[in-house]
Amino acid sequence: MDGAHRLAQIPPGVQCFVGDEARRRRRIEGVVVSVFEGWDYEEIIPPLFDYADVFTGDALSSKTYSFVGRDGSVLALRPDFTSLLAKIAAGRLRERPAPIRLYYSGEVVRYEPPKAGRQSELFQMGLEHLGGDPRAADAEVLTIAAECLERLGVRGFVLTLGHVGVFTGLLAGSGIDEARLEQLRERVEVKDEAGIRRALAAVDIPPEARRALERLATLAGGPEVLDDAAETLACCPAAAEAVGELRTVSTALVRAGLGAHVAVDLGEVRGLDYYTGLVFRVFAPGLGFEVGGGGRYDTLLGRFGRPLPAVGFMLGLDRVALLLARQNEERDPAPATAEMVTGRNLGEALAEARAKRAAGARVRFGNGEER
Amino acid sequence: MSLTVALSKGKLLAGTQELFGRAGLPFPDGESRRLVVSLGELRFLFVKDMDVPTYVEYGVADCGIAGRDVLLEAESDVFEPLDLGFGRCRLVVARPAGAHFAPDGSSTVRVATKYPKVAAGHFLGRGLSVEVVRLAGSVEIAPGLGLADCIVDVVETGRTLRENDLEEVEDVAESSARLVVNRASFHAQRTELSSLVEALRRAV
Repeated sequence: MDGAHRLAQIPPGVQCFVGDEARRRRRIEGVVVSVFEGWDYEEIIPPLFDYADVFTGDALSSKTYSFVGRDGSVLALRPDFTSLLAKIAAGRLRERPAPIRLYYSGEVVRYEPPKAGRQSELFQMGLEHLGGDPRAADAEVLTIAAECLERLGVRGFVLTLGHVGVFTGLLAGSGIDEARLEQLRERVEVKDEAGIRRALAAVDIPPEARRALERLATLAGGPEVLDDAAETLACCPAAAEAVGELRTVSTALVRAGLGAHVAVDLGEVRGLDYYTGLVFRVFAPGLGFEVGGGGRYDTLLGRFGRPLPAVGFMLGLDRVALLLARQNEERDPAPATAEMVTGRNLGEALAEARAKRAAGARVRFGNGEER
Repeated sequence: MSLTVALSKGKLLAGTQELFGRAGLPFPDGESRRLVVSLGELRFLFVKDMDVPTYVEYGVADCGIAGRDVLLEAESDVFEPLDLGFGRCRLVVARPAGAHFAPDGSSTVRVATKYPKVAAGHFLGRGLSVEVVRLAGSVEIAPGLGLADCIVDVVETGRTLRENDLEEVEDVAESSARLVVNRASFHAQRTELSSLVEALRRAV
Protein backbone atom coordinates (compact mmCIF):
# COMPACT_ATOMS: atom_id res chain seq x y z
CA MET A 1 0.00 0.00 0.00
CA ASP A 2 1.58 3.30 -0.97
CA GLY A 3 2.01 6.14 1.51
CA ALA A 4 -0.48 8.52 -0.09
CA HIS A 5 -3.21 5.92 0.05
CA ARG A 6 -2.51 5.22 3.70
CA LEU A 7 -2.52 8.92 4.56
CA ALA A 8 -5.91 9.43 2.89
CA GLN A 9 -7.56 7.10 5.42
CA ILE A 10 -9.51 8.68 8.23
CA PRO A 11 -10.01 7.29 11.73
CA PRO A 12 -13.52 6.04 12.54
CA GLY A 13 -15.80 8.54 14.25
CA VAL A 14 -14.61 11.76 12.64
CA GLN A 15 -16.42 13.69 9.92
CA CYS A 16 -15.72 16.38 7.38
CA PHE A 17 -18.33 18.77 6.01
CA VAL A 18 -18.13 20.34 2.58
CA GLY A 19 -19.99 23.24 0.98
CA ASP A 20 -23.75 22.82 1.33
CA GLU A 21 -23.41 20.55 4.37
CA ALA A 22 -21.19 23.05 6.13
CA ARG A 23 -23.56 25.88 5.19
CA ARG A 24 -26.52 23.96 6.59
CA ARG A 25 -24.70 23.42 9.87
CA ARG A 26 -23.79 27.09 10.15
CA ARG A 27 -27.41 28.02 9.46
CA ILE A 28 -28.72 25.64 12.14
CA GLU A 29 -26.16 26.92 14.63
CA GLY A 30 -27.14 30.50 13.76
CA VAL A 31 -30.83 29.83 14.38
CA VAL A 32 -30.21 28.12 17.73
CA VAL A 33 -27.71 30.70 18.96
CA SER A 34 -30.09 33.54 18.08
CA VAL A 35 -32.78 31.86 20.22
CA PHE A 36 -30.32 31.54 23.13
CA GLU A 37 -29.36 35.20 22.74
CA GLY A 38 -33.04 36.11 22.48
CA TRP A 39 -33.63 34.69 25.96
CA ASP A 40 -30.67 36.72 27.24
CA TYR A 41 -28.13 33.95 27.65
CA GLU A 42 -24.45 34.80 27.49
CA GLU A 43 -21.98 32.85 25.40
CA ILE A 44 -19.06 30.98 26.92
CA ILE A 45 -16.27 29.56 24.79
CA PRO A 46 -14.63 27.13 27.19
CA PRO A 47 -11.23 25.48 26.66
CA LEU A 48 -10.88 22.41 24.46
CA PHE A 49 -9.22 20.41 27.23
CA ASP A 50 -9.04 20.56 30.99
CA TYR A 51 -7.96 18.39 33.90
CA ALA A 52 -9.56 14.97 33.51
CA ASP A 53 -11.10 14.99 37.00
CA VAL A 54 -13.33 17.92 36.00
CA PHE A 55 -15.28 15.43 33.89
CA THR A 56 -15.86 12.66 36.41
CA GLY A 57 -18.88 10.43 36.33
CA ASP A 58 -19.06 6.80 35.24
CA ALA A 59 -21.04 7.49 32.08
CA LEU A 60 -18.46 9.92 30.75
CA SER A 61 -15.13 8.72 32.06
CA SER A 62 -15.18 5.55 29.97
CA LYS A 63 -15.72 7.68 26.87
CA THR A 64 -13.16 10.39 27.56
CA TYR A 65 -10.04 10.91 25.48
CA SER A 66 -7.52 11.62 28.19
CA PHE A 67 -3.80 12.14 28.01
CA VAL A 68 -0.90 13.01 30.27
CA GLY A 69 0.30 16.62 30.14
CA ARG A 70 3.97 17.55 30.14
CA ASP A 71 3.86 18.18 33.89
CA GLY A 72 2.39 14.73 34.53
CA SER A 73 -1.18 15.87 35.14
CA VAL A 74 -3.98 13.92 33.52
CA LEU A 75 -5.87 16.02 30.98
CA ALA A 76 -8.96 15.27 28.92
CA LEU A 77 -10.46 16.59 25.70
CA ARG A 78 -13.85 17.92 26.72
CA PRO A 79 -16.47 15.13 26.50
CA ASP A 80 -19.19 17.47 27.73
CA PHE A 81 -19.79 21.20 28.23
CA THR A 82 -21.88 21.13 31.40
CA SER A 83 -19.03 20.24 33.77
CA LEU A 84 -16.83 22.93 32.22
CA LEU A 85 -19.52 25.60 32.51
CA ALA A 86 -20.20 24.59 36.11
CA LYS A 87 -16.50 24.95 36.85
CA ILE A 88 -16.36 28.37 35.19
CA ALA A 89 -19.50 29.58 36.98
CA ALA A 90 -18.06 28.48 40.31
CA GLY A 91 -14.58 29.80 39.54
CA ARG A 92 -14.09 32.76 37.27
CA LEU A 93 -17.72 33.89 37.62
CA ARG A 94 -17.79 33.28 41.39
CA GLU A 95 -18.77 36.87 42.20
CA ARG A 96 -21.52 36.99 39.59
CA PRO A 97 -24.91 36.88 41.37
CA ALA A 98 -27.31 34.07 40.47
CA PRO A 99 -29.24 33.37 38.35
CA ILE A 100 -26.58 33.03 35.68
CA ARG A 101 -27.59 32.18 32.11
CA LEU A 102 -24.86 30.75 29.89
CA TYR A 103 -24.78 29.06 26.50
CA TYR A 104 -22.20 27.27 24.37
CA SER A 105 -21.88 25.95 20.86
CA GLY A 106 -19.03 23.70 19.84
CA GLU A 107 -17.53 20.24 19.59
CA VAL A 108 -17.12 17.66 22.28
CA VAL A 109 -15.12 14.48 21.79
CA ARG A 110 -16.16 11.10 23.07
CA TYR A 111 -14.84 7.67 22.44
CA GLU A 112 -17.91 6.18 20.85
CA PRO A 113 -18.21 3.71 18.01
CA PRO A 114 -20.12 5.51 15.23
CA LYS A 115 -23.72 4.43 15.67
CA ALA A 116 -27.26 5.82 15.43
CA GLY A 117 -26.28 9.40 14.64
CA ARG A 118 -23.40 9.40 17.09
CA GLN A 119 -19.83 10.09 16.10
CA SER A 120 -16.73 10.51 18.24
CA GLU A 121 -16.76 14.21 17.50
CA LEU A 122 -20.13 15.75 18.35
CA PHE A 123 -21.25 19.32 17.87
CA GLN A 124 -23.44 20.45 20.75
CA MET A 125 -25.44 23.63 21.20
CA GLY A 126 -26.77 24.10 24.69
CA LEU A 127 -27.38 26.29 27.66
CA GLU A 128 -27.23 26.22 31.43
CA HIS A 129 -29.44 28.12 33.85
CA LEU A 130 -27.70 28.36 37.22
CA GLY A 131 -29.48 29.42 40.40
CA GLY A 132 -32.89 31.10 40.51
CA ASP A 133 -36.29 29.57 41.19
CA PRO A 134 -35.97 25.94 40.12
CA ARG A 135 -39.46 25.45 38.63
CA ALA A 136 -39.31 28.73 36.73
CA ALA A 137 -35.86 27.76 35.42
CA ASP A 138 -37.06 24.29 34.37
CA ALA A 139 -40.00 25.78 32.50
CA GLU A 140 -37.84 28.48 30.91
CA VAL A 141 -35.28 25.98 29.62
CA LEU A 142 -37.96 23.70 28.17
CA THR A 143 -39.64 26.66 26.49
CA ILE A 144 -36.34 27.72 24.92
CA ALA A 145 -35.80 24.15 23.69
CA ALA A 146 -39.25 24.24 22.08
CA GLU A 147 -38.56 27.61 20.46
CA CYS A 148 -35.30 26.33 18.94
CA LEU A 149 -37.18 23.46 17.30
CA GLU A 150 -40.00 25.71 16.12
CA ARG A 151 -37.59 28.15 14.53
CA LEU A 152 -35.65 25.34 12.92
CA GLY A 153 -38.91 24.22 11.32
CA VAL A 154 -39.00 20.80 13.03
CA ARG A 155 -42.48 19.27 12.72
CA GLY A 156 -44.19 17.23 15.43
CA PHE A 157 -41.45 17.42 18.07
CA VAL A 158 -42.09 16.11 21.58
CA LEU A 159 -40.39 17.03 24.85
CA THR A 160 -40.64 14.00 27.12
CA LEU A 161 -40.35 14.87 30.80
CA GLY A 162 -39.15 12.50 33.48
CA HIS A 163 -37.73 12.93 36.95
CA VAL A 164 -34.81 11.14 38.58
CA GLY A 165 -36.52 11.49 41.97
CA VAL A 166 -39.33 9.12 41.06
CA PHE A 167 -37.09 6.09 40.75
CA THR A 168 -34.67 7.01 43.54
CA GLY A 169 -37.55 8.03 45.83
CA LEU A 170 -39.27 4.67 45.42
CA LEU A 171 -36.07 2.85 46.34
CA ALA A 172 -34.99 5.12 49.19
CA GLY A 173 -34.17 3.08 52.27
CA SER A 174 -34.57 -0.24 50.43
CA GLY A 175 -30.88 -1.06 50.82
CA ILE A 176 -30.87 -2.53 47.32
CA ASP A 177 -27.38 -3.56 46.27
CA GLU A 178 -25.54 -1.88 43.41
CA ALA A 179 -25.73 -4.80 40.96
CA ARG A 180 -29.46 -5.30 41.44
CA LEU A 181 -30.08 -1.56 41.23
CA GLU A 182 -28.36 -1.41 37.84
CA GLN A 183 -30.35 -4.40 36.63
CA LEU A 184 -33.57 -2.79 37.81
CA ARG A 185 -32.72 0.58 36.30
CA GLU A 186 -31.99 -1.09 32.98
CA ARG A 187 -35.35 -2.91 33.00
CA VAL A 188 -37.21 0.31 33.90
CA GLU A 189 -35.46 2.12 31.05
CA VAL A 190 -36.65 -0.42 28.50
CA LYS A 191 -40.19 -0.45 29.97
CA ASP A 192 -40.11 -4.20 30.63
CA GLU A 193 -42.75 -4.62 33.33
CA ALA A 194 -42.18 -8.36 33.70
CA GLY A 195 -38.43 -7.77 33.91
CA ILE A 196 -38.92 -5.14 36.63
CA ARG A 197 -40.96 -7.64 38.61
CA ARG A 198 -38.21 -10.24 38.30
CA ALA A 199 -35.48 -7.76 39.24
CA LEU A 200 -37.46 -6.80 42.36
CA ALA A 201 -38.23 -10.37 43.43
CA ALA A 202 -35.58 -10.52 46.12
CA VAL A 203 -35.66 -6.85 47.12
CA ASP A 204 -37.27 -5.92 50.42
CA ILE A 205 -39.54 -2.92 49.80
CA PRO A 206 -43.11 -2.05 50.77
CA PRO A 207 -45.75 -3.54 48.45
CA GLU A 208 -46.98 -0.10 47.29
CA ALA A 209 -43.44 0.87 46.26
CA ARG A 210 -43.06 -2.44 44.42
CA ARG A 211 -46.31 -1.88 42.52
CA ALA A 212 -45.30 1.69 41.74
CA LEU A 213 -41.91 0.57 40.35
CA GLU A 214 -43.66 -1.96 38.11
CA ARG A 215 -45.99 0.80 36.93
CA LEU A 216 -43.03 2.97 35.84
CA ALA A 217 -42.98 0.85 32.68
CA THR A 218 -46.38 2.19 31.65
CA LEU A 219 -46.47 5.68 33.17
CA ALA A 220 -45.75 7.37 29.85
CA GLY A 221 -47.93 9.45 27.56
CA GLY A 222 -49.48 12.91 27.52
CA PRO A 223 -49.42 15.34 30.47
CA GLU A 224 -52.53 13.55 31.87
CA VAL A 225 -50.21 10.68 32.87
CA LEU A 226 -49.21 12.85 35.83
CA ASP A 227 -52.71 12.47 37.35
CA ASP A 228 -52.38 8.72 37.24
CA ALA A 229 -48.80 9.00 38.56
CA ALA A 230 -49.85 11.17 41.50
CA GLU A 231 -52.23 8.40 42.59
CA THR A 232 -49.81 5.53 42.00
CA LEU A 233 -46.93 7.28 43.74
CA ALA A 234 -48.90 8.76 46.64
CA CYS A 235 -47.37 6.05 48.87
CA CYS A 236 -43.92 7.55 48.58
CA PRO A 237 -43.51 11.24 49.53
CA ALA A 238 -40.22 11.71 47.65
CA ALA A 239 -41.65 10.28 44.42
CA ALA A 240 -44.90 12.20 44.87
CA GLU A 241 -42.94 15.42 45.28
CA ALA A 242 -41.07 14.69 42.04
CA VAL A 243 -44.39 14.24 40.25
CA GLY A 244 -45.59 17.51 41.79
CA GLU A 245 -42.56 19.31 40.32
CA LEU A 246 -43.25 17.85 36.90
CA ARG A 247 -46.88 18.87 37.17
CA THR A 248 -45.97 22.48 37.95
CA VAL A 249 -43.67 22.62 34.93
CA SER A 250 -46.00 20.78 32.55
CA THR A 251 -49.01 22.91 33.56
CA ALA A 252 -46.99 26.03 32.81
CA LEU A 253 -45.89 24.69 29.42
CA VAL A 254 -49.46 23.76 28.48
CA ARG A 255 -50.65 27.21 29.54
CA ALA A 256 -47.90 28.75 27.38
CA GLY A 257 -49.31 26.96 24.31
CA LEU A 258 -46.83 24.08 24.18
CA GLY A 259 -49.32 21.36 25.22
CA ALA A 260 -49.08 19.54 21.89
CA HIS A 261 -45.33 19.15 22.41
CA VAL A 262 -45.29 17.95 26.02
CA ALA A 263 -45.13 14.27 26.97
CA VAL A 264 -44.36 12.50 30.20
CA ASP A 265 -42.17 9.43 30.63
CA LEU A 266 -41.62 8.39 34.23
CA GLY A 267 -39.62 5.39 33.05
CA GLU A 268 -36.95 7.85 31.97
CA VAL A 269 -34.36 7.07 34.63
CA ARG A 270 -31.05 7.11 32.86
CA GLY A 271 -28.79 9.77 31.53
CA LEU A 272 -25.65 11.29 32.91
CA ASP A 273 -25.21 10.54 36.58
CA TYR A 274 -25.14 14.21 37.59
CA TYR A 275 -28.87 14.69 36.98
CA THR A 276 -30.83 15.13 40.20
CA GLY A 277 -34.37 16.15 39.18
CA LEU A 278 -36.17 16.86 35.92
CA VAL A 279 -34.74 15.01 32.92
CA PHE A 280 -36.04 15.41 29.40
CA ARG A 281 -35.44 14.34 25.84
CA VAL A 282 -36.48 15.75 22.51
CA PHE A 283 -37.91 13.45 19.83
CA ALA A 284 -39.42 14.15 16.44
CA PRO A 285 -40.92 11.99 13.68
CA GLY A 286 -38.33 10.99 11.11
CA LEU A 287 -35.46 10.34 13.49
CA GLY A 288 -35.35 7.17 15.57
CA PHE A 289 -33.31 8.67 18.39
CA GLU A 290 -33.42 11.87 20.40
CA VAL A 291 -32.32 15.19 18.92
CA GLY A 292 -31.28 16.52 22.30
CA GLY A 293 -32.16 16.60 25.94
CA GLY A 294 -31.28 17.94 29.31
CA GLY A 295 -32.10 18.04 32.96
CA ARG A 296 -31.56 19.43 36.40
CA TYR A 297 -28.26 18.92 38.22
CA ASP A 298 -28.40 20.51 41.66
CA THR A 299 -25.22 19.01 43.11
CA LEU A 300 -22.69 19.45 40.31
CA LEU A 301 -21.71 23.06 41.11
CA GLY A 302 -21.12 22.12 44.74
CA ARG A 303 -18.23 19.95 43.52
CA PHE A 304 -16.55 23.14 42.34
CA GLY A 305 -17.24 25.00 45.59
CA ARG A 306 -20.33 27.00 44.68
CA PRO A 307 -23.47 25.04 45.52
CA LEU A 308 -26.14 26.29 43.12
CA PRO A 309 -29.12 24.45 41.67
CA ALA A 310 -28.93 24.29 37.88
CA VAL A 311 -30.74 23.06 34.79
CA GLY A 312 -29.55 22.81 31.22
CA PHE A 313 -30.23 21.34 27.82
CA MET A 314 -28.48 20.75 24.56
CA LEU A 315 -29.25 19.92 20.95
CA GLY A 316 -26.94 17.76 18.86
CA LEU A 317 -26.15 19.60 15.64
CA ASP A 318 -25.50 16.40 13.71
CA ARG A 319 -28.86 15.02 14.73
CA VAL A 320 -30.73 18.24 14.00
CA ALA A 321 -29.19 18.27 10.52
CA LEU A 322 -30.18 14.63 9.98
CA LEU A 323 -33.70 15.28 11.25
CA LEU A 324 -34.23 18.30 9.00
CA ALA A 325 -32.99 16.29 6.03
CA ARG A 326 -35.43 13.45 6.92
CA GLN A 327 -38.33 15.82 7.44
CA ASN A 328 -37.45 17.25 4.05
CA GLU A 329 -37.54 20.83 5.11
CA GLU A 330 -37.07 23.58 2.57
CA ARG A 331 -33.67 23.58 0.94
CA ASP A 332 -31.15 25.90 2.43
CA PRO A 333 -31.03 29.08 0.38
CA ALA A 334 -28.20 28.79 -2.15
CA PRO A 335 -25.51 31.44 -1.92
CA ALA A 336 -25.62 34.22 -4.52
CA THR A 337 -24.00 33.35 -7.82
CA ALA A 338 -20.47 34.65 -7.99
CA GLU A 339 -19.53 37.30 -10.54
CA MET A 340 -16.44 36.44 -12.55
CA VAL A 341 -13.77 39.12 -12.53
CA THR A 342 -10.94 38.74 -15.00
CA GLY A 343 -8.70 41.13 -16.83
CA ARG A 344 -5.47 41.27 -18.73
CA ASN A 345 -4.01 43.61 -16.17
CA LEU A 346 -3.81 41.94 -12.76
CA GLY A 347 -3.90 45.20 -10.82
CA GLU A 348 -6.91 46.53 -12.72
CA ALA A 349 -8.75 43.26 -12.27
CA LEU A 350 -8.07 43.26 -8.54
CA ALA A 351 -9.30 46.85 -8.29
CA GLU A 352 -12.50 45.84 -10.10
CA ALA A 353 -12.97 42.85 -7.79
CA ARG A 354 -12.48 45.03 -4.74
CA ALA A 355 -15.07 47.48 -6.00
CA LYS A 356 -17.58 44.69 -6.53
CA ARG A 357 -16.79 43.30 -3.09
CA ALA A 358 -17.32 46.72 -1.56
CA ALA A 359 -20.74 46.74 -3.24
CA GLY A 360 -21.47 43.39 -1.53
CA ALA A 361 -21.16 41.04 -4.51
CA ARG A 362 -19.85 37.48 -4.31
CA VAL A 363 -16.81 37.50 -6.55
CA ARG A 364 -14.82 34.80 -8.24
CA PHE A 365 -11.44 36.14 -9.17
CA GLY A 366 -9.49 34.55 -11.99
CA ASN A 367 -7.39 34.96 -15.03
CA GLY A 368 -10.07 33.73 -17.38
CA GLU A 369 -8.91 30.10 -17.34
CA GLU A 370 -11.76 28.88 -15.15
CA ARG A 371 -15.42 29.52 -15.69
CA MET B 1 -49.88 7.57 9.87
CA SER B 2 -48.96 3.95 9.40
CA LEU B 3 -46.54 1.89 11.48
CA THR B 4 -43.62 -0.21 10.29
CA VAL B 5 -43.03 -3.56 11.99
CA ALA B 6 -39.73 -5.47 11.67
CA LEU B 7 -40.01 -9.25 11.82
CA SER B 8 -37.72 -12.16 11.05
CA LYS B 9 -38.68 -15.18 9.00
CA GLY B 10 -36.79 -17.37 11.44
CA LYS B 11 -38.00 -19.45 14.36
CA LEU B 12 -40.29 -16.73 15.75
CA LEU B 13 -42.39 -16.41 12.59
CA ALA B 14 -45.09 -18.97 13.43
CA GLY B 15 -45.57 -17.62 16.96
CA THR B 16 -45.71 -14.07 15.65
CA GLN B 17 -48.33 -14.98 13.06
CA GLU B 18 -50.50 -16.68 15.71
CA LEU B 19 -50.15 -13.69 18.02
CA PHE B 20 -51.16 -11.19 15.33
CA GLY B 21 -54.13 -13.44 14.49
CA ARG B 22 -55.28 -13.52 18.13
CA ALA B 23 -54.85 -9.75 18.34
CA GLY B 24 -57.03 -9.28 15.27
CA LEU B 25 -54.16 -7.66 13.36
CA PRO B 26 -53.40 -8.29 9.69
CA PHE B 27 -50.42 -10.46 8.82
CA PRO B 28 -48.83 -11.18 5.42
CA ASP B 29 -49.40 -14.71 4.08
CA GLY B 30 -46.39 -16.98 4.27
CA GLU B 31 -46.07 -17.71 0.56
CA SER B 32 -44.74 -14.38 -0.56
CA ARG B 33 -41.04 -13.76 -1.04
CA ARG B 34 -41.52 -10.04 -0.72
CA LEU B 35 -39.45 -8.49 2.08
CA VAL B 36 -41.60 -5.36 2.45
CA VAL B 37 -45.36 -5.89 2.64
CA SER B 38 -48.00 -3.25 3.35
CA LEU B 39 -51.32 -4.36 4.81
CA GLY B 40 -53.75 -1.64 5.81
CA GLU B 41 -52.12 0.59 8.40
CA LEU B 42 -49.15 -1.73 8.92
CA ARG B 43 -46.02 -2.17 6.87
CA PHE B 44 -44.01 -5.33 7.52
CA LEU B 45 -40.27 -5.69 6.98
CA PHE B 46 -38.80 -9.20 6.90
CA VAL B 47 -35.16 -9.12 7.93
CA LYS B 48 -32.54 -11.36 9.60
CA ASP B 49 -33.38 -12.04 13.25
CA MET B 50 -30.14 -10.40 14.44
CA ASP B 51 -31.07 -7.28 12.45
CA VAL B 52 -34.52 -6.67 13.96
CA PRO B 53 -33.19 -4.59 16.91
CA THR B 54 -31.07 -2.51 14.53
CA TYR B 55 -34.02 -1.59 12.30
CA VAL B 56 -35.99 -0.62 15.38
CA GLU B 57 -33.18 1.29 17.09
CA TYR B 58 -32.66 3.46 14.01
CA GLY B 59 -36.39 4.06 13.70
CA VAL B 60 -36.61 2.54 10.22
CA ALA B 61 -39.15 0.27 11.88
CA ASP B 62 -41.32 1.66 14.69
CA CYS B 63 -41.45 -1.70 16.42
CA GLY B 64 -40.46 -5.31 15.92
CA ILE B 65 -40.36 -8.76 17.41
CA ALA B 66 -37.05 -10.25 18.50
CA GLY B 67 -35.83 -12.92 20.88
CA ARG B 68 -34.30 -11.82 24.16
CA ASP B 69 -31.16 -13.72 23.10
CA VAL B 70 -30.84 -11.45 20.07
CA LEU B 71 -31.51 -8.32 22.14
CA LEU B 72 -28.80 -9.26 24.63
CA GLU B 73 -26.31 -9.63 21.81
CA ALA B 74 -27.39 -6.52 19.88
CA GLU B 75 -27.30 -4.20 22.93
CA SER B 76 -29.67 -1.88 21.07
CA ASP B 77 -31.25 1.12 22.70
CA VAL B 78 -34.93 0.17 22.34
CA PHE B 79 -37.95 -0.25 24.60
CA GLU B 80 -39.02 -3.82 25.41
CA PRO B 81 -42.57 -3.35 26.70
CA LEU B 82 -43.91 -6.89 26.21
CA ASP B 83 -42.73 -10.41 26.84
CA LEU B 84 -44.75 -12.21 24.19
CA GLY B 85 -44.33 -15.59 25.85
CA PHE B 86 -43.50 -17.72 22.81
CA GLY B 87 -40.11 -18.74 21.42
CA ARG B 88 -38.91 -19.73 24.86
CA CYS B 89 -35.35 -20.99 25.01
CA ARG B 90 -32.22 -20.68 27.11
CA LEU B 91 -28.72 -19.48 26.36
CA VAL B 92 -26.31 -21.96 27.90
CA VAL B 93 -22.67 -22.94 28.05
CA ALA B 94 -22.22 -26.48 26.72
CA ARG B 95 -19.15 -28.73 26.50
CA PRO B 96 -18.45 -32.14 24.93
CA ALA B 97 -20.27 -34.75 27.02
CA GLY B 98 -18.02 -36.22 29.65
CA ALA B 99 -15.22 -33.70 29.08
CA HIS B 100 -13.21 -32.54 32.04
CA PHE B 101 -13.49 -28.95 30.89
CA ALA B 102 -14.91 -26.53 33.45
CA PRO B 103 -14.96 -22.80 32.75
CA ASP B 104 -13.25 -21.88 36.01
CA GLY B 105 -10.72 -24.65 35.63
CA SER B 106 -8.77 -23.14 32.75
CA SER B 107 -6.71 -19.99 32.36
CA THR B 108 -8.60 -18.94 29.25
CA VAL B 109 -12.00 -20.22 28.16
CA ARG B 110 -12.13 -20.77 24.42
CA VAL B 111 -15.76 -20.48 23.39
CA ALA B 112 -17.39 -20.78 19.98
CA THR B 113 -20.65 -18.87 19.55
CA LYS B 114 -23.02 -16.81 17.46
CA TYR B 115 -23.32 -14.50 20.48
CA PRO B 116 -19.82 -13.06 20.96
CA LYS B 117 -20.82 -10.17 23.25
CA VAL B 118 -23.02 -12.31 25.47
CA ALA B 119 -20.38 -15.02 25.70
CA ALA B 120 -17.54 -12.61 26.46
CA GLY B 121 -19.67 -10.76 29.03
CA HIS B 122 -20.66 -13.99 30.74
CA PHE B 123 -17.10 -15.14 31.37
CA LEU B 124 -15.42 -11.76 31.89
CA GLY B 125 -18.14 -10.87 34.42
CA ARG B 126 -16.97 -13.82 36.51
CA GLY B 127 -13.33 -12.86 36.25
CA LEU B 128 -12.53 -15.53 33.68
CA SER B 129 -10.31 -14.82 30.73
CA VAL B 130 -12.04 -15.67 27.46
CA GLU B 131 -11.22 -16.16 23.79
CA VAL B 132 -14.34 -15.89 21.65
CA VAL B 133 -14.47 -17.72 18.31
CA ARG B 134 -17.28 -16.10 16.38
CA LEU B 135 -19.23 -18.42 14.11
CA ALA B 136 -22.29 -17.84 11.93
CA GLY B 137 -23.82 -21.29 12.49
CA SER B 138 -23.23 -25.01 13.22
CA VAL B 139 -21.65 -23.94 16.47
CA GLU B 140 -22.28 -27.40 17.98
CA ILE B 141 -19.47 -29.06 16.07
CA ALA B 142 -16.77 -26.60 17.18
CA PRO B 143 -15.67 -28.26 20.46
CA GLY B 144 -15.51 -31.75 18.96
CA LEU B 145 -13.21 -30.50 16.22
CA GLY B 146 -10.91 -28.69 18.63
CA LEU B 147 -11.92 -25.17 17.60
CA ALA B 148 -13.07 -24.32 21.13
CA ASP B 149 -13.48 -25.83 24.61
CA CYS B 150 -17.16 -25.03 24.81
CA ILE B 151 -20.01 -23.18 23.12
CA VAL B 152 -22.54 -20.57 24.16
CA ASP B 153 -25.75 -21.15 22.25
CA VAL B 154 -29.52 -21.32 22.53
CA VAL B 155 -31.21 -24.51 23.64
CA GLU B 156 -34.92 -25.26 23.32
CA THR B 157 -35.28 -28.98 23.96
CA GLY B 158 -31.64 -29.95 24.25
CA ARG B 159 -31.93 -32.39 21.37
CA THR B 160 -29.36 -30.68 19.13
CA LEU B 161 -26.87 -30.70 21.98
CA ARG B 162 -27.40 -34.40 22.66
CA GLU B 163 -27.13 -35.33 18.99
CA ASN B 164 -23.80 -33.56 18.84
CA ASP B 165 -22.54 -35.12 22.09
CA LEU B 166 -22.67 -31.92 24.10
CA GLU B 167 -23.91 -31.30 27.61
CA GLU B 168 -24.94 -28.15 29.42
CA VAL B 169 -22.56 -26.79 32.02
CA GLU B 170 -24.15 -23.52 33.03
CA ASP B 171 -27.02 -21.16 32.25
CA VAL B 172 -26.33 -17.77 30.69
CA ALA B 173 -29.79 -16.29 30.20
CA GLU B 174 -33.41 -17.14 29.50
CA SER B 175 -35.04 -15.98 26.32
CA SER B 176 -38.45 -15.52 24.76
CA ALA B 177 -39.93 -13.33 22.05
CA ARG B 178 -40.19 -9.64 22.95
CA LEU B 179 -41.95 -6.71 21.41
CA VAL B 180 -39.39 -3.97 20.88
CA VAL B 181 -40.33 -0.35 20.21
CA ASN B 182 -38.30 2.58 18.92
CA ARG B 183 -37.82 5.26 21.58
CA ALA B 184 -38.72 8.18 19.33
CA SER B 185 -41.74 6.47 17.76
CA PHE B 186 -43.00 5.57 21.21
CA HIS B 187 -43.41 9.28 21.95
CA ALA B 188 -43.75 10.91 18.54
CA GLN B 189 -46.30 8.32 17.27
CA ARG B 190 -47.83 7.56 20.61
CA THR B 191 -51.45 7.11 19.54
CA GLU B 192 -50.81 4.58 16.78
CA LEU B 193 -48.20 2.64 18.74
CA SER B 194 -50.08 2.40 21.99
CA SER B 195 -53.11 0.88 20.28
CA LEU B 196 -50.84 -1.72 18.63
CA VAL B 197 -49.08 -2.46 21.93
CA GLU B 198 -52.42 -2.80 23.76
CA ALA B 199 -53.82 -5.12 21.08
CA LEU B 200 -50.76 -7.36 21.42
CA ARG B 201 -50.82 -7.14 25.24
CA ARG B 202 -54.37 -8.46 25.29
CA ALA B 203 -53.45 -11.28 22.93
CA VAL B 204 -50.42 -12.55 24.86
